[in-house]
Amino acid sequence: MITAEQKPMQEIINCIAPYDRILLVGCNECVTVCSAGGRKEVGLLASALQLHFLKQGKTLDIKEVTLERQCDPEYVEELVNYMDQVDAVVSMACGCGVQTIAARYREKAVYPAVNTKFMGASERQGIWAERCQGCGDCVLGLTGGICPIARCSKRLMNGPCGGSTKGKCEISPDVDCAWQLIWDRMKALGIEKRYEEVMEAKDWRTSRDGGPRKIVREDLAS
Amino acid sequence: MMSLKKKMSAGEFAVMAEMHTPKGVDISEIVTNARRLKGRVDAVVIPDMDNGIMHMSALAGGVLMKQQGLEAMIHVYGRDRNRMALQGDLLAAHVLGISNLLVVRGEEMINGDHRDARIVDDLDEVGILNMIRTLQGGLDLAGFELKGAPEFTAGCAIAPVVDDAQLAAEIESAKKKVAAGAGFVVAPAVFDMAYYAKMIEKLKPLGVPVVATVFLLKNVGMARYMAINDPGARVSEDLITRIRKAPDREAECVRMAGEMAAALKKTAQGIKIVTLGWEHRLPAILESAGL
Ligand code: SF4
Repeated sequence: MITAEQKPMQEIINCIAPYDRILLVGCNECVTVCSAGGRKEVGLLASALQLHFLKQGKTLDIKEVTLERQCDPEYVEELVNYMDQVDAVVSMACGCGVQTIAARYREKAVYPAVNTKFMGASERQGIWAERCQGCGDCVLGLTGGICPIARCSKRLMNGPCGGSTKGKCEISPDVDCAWQLIWDRMKALGIEKRYEEVMEAKDWRTSRDGGPRKIVREDLAS
Repeated sequence: MMSLKKKMSAGEFAVMAEMHTPKGVDISEIVTNARRLKGRVDAVVIPDMDNGIMHMSALAGGVLMKQQGLEAMIHVYGRDRNRMALQGDLLAAHVLGISNLLVVRGEEMINGDHRDARIVDDLDEVGILNMIRTLQGGLDLAGFELKGAPEFTAGCAIAPVVDDAQLAAEIESAKKKVAAGAGFVVAPAVFDMAYYAKMIEKLKPLGVPVVATVFLLKNVGMARYMAINDPGARVSEDLITRIRKAPDREAECVRMAGEMAAALKKTAQGIKIVTLGWEHRLPAILESAGL
């Protein structure tokens, strides 16, 4: 999923300071799972902002809505009736949600309330870690199911480097060495021979290097 | 010979010619062509991986020019190098005697010959100009003090523009670059001299010398291609006919570039002649322009 974290309070305050009426929009998908921008966080942020501005003598009118999926125009359409009652929109979804709202409601400024971080997985309660960089040409089948692009600090395709110690990456004892993980897993699967195969220089065209990306499914496109 | 920097700040007309490094290590051609230009141009401009095609780096090309007794100007852009590599190369450039930089936008990787390569894009043109200024001030981008600061004359380029709206946008972006330290601007090639004069007038309020680009059309095919694919260059049907009807087409192309150069001497503060592989014809173009 896409992970996110709330922006520093002061940054959000600075963005909305010029406005009196705000629409605060959460999303029921990824940001709900990582507790950054779901219904609960929308409620908490709304109260915190109201309190802050109240102390300054301003009553901030905040309307709270949490959409099923903010990156989908179909759900973003549900905001249409709110738009003439607000001065600006604050989104608690990932950047995809923010931009879907901005594209649909061009006359209203949209501010992000979260920093979109990465595509990751939950390691345990409250901890998410990066797992995928969306390179567009998955290598997990060659690397024992562990991604060297997302998880090796040097993005080595033929690792490890010389800095791996006791299974940890040289950049920090808190980071697992991806290539140690790859090697261990290949051994466990009995495919360590594959490790000897040299991986060619990657073709980055399928990644962001080929320009902003799009998927077109003719069979589904209307 | 007066340095390019002095010439530009004295308001004198500066003549530059572009020359490409080889794809490989055979430098005989570039060296021969460089020798022919000695004493005839104020600087030789060396693009870096021009059009996204892998070549010997501009830094080496610049050094080759120095070795031939010519002043060099090298392209700098952020597609292939991050701020570490850019800074390191600029310190090297200063030490190796290269004092002129042209900060440009790199061609899209996807249009070059290493389409599968990863793109760096750590700094954009404004970021690079800021970086150059920071280095000149004796610090690196991380704020650490340099042991000896480099000195450069750095400029920026205006992208080809189709209409006045695009030109206005380019001027706005050039303003930022000048504020970030660009000491001159290079205007894109335009074949309609009246339009070019107008464009140069519009660039003058930037407050820095405007260098115009003289582009050598090499044949009818190229002229036609540009007429269709580069509308900003304003290659007219008349121009194409002129090449087509000429008894010696190559000589006519050289003459046309010479005429452009001579005409631009009246409006711009300098020219950069681009011949894309016909560097051996540079002396003839200069001659025909009376330069
Ligand atoms: S220690 Fe392992 S994960 Fe870290 S950079 Fe080296 S190979 Fe990559």
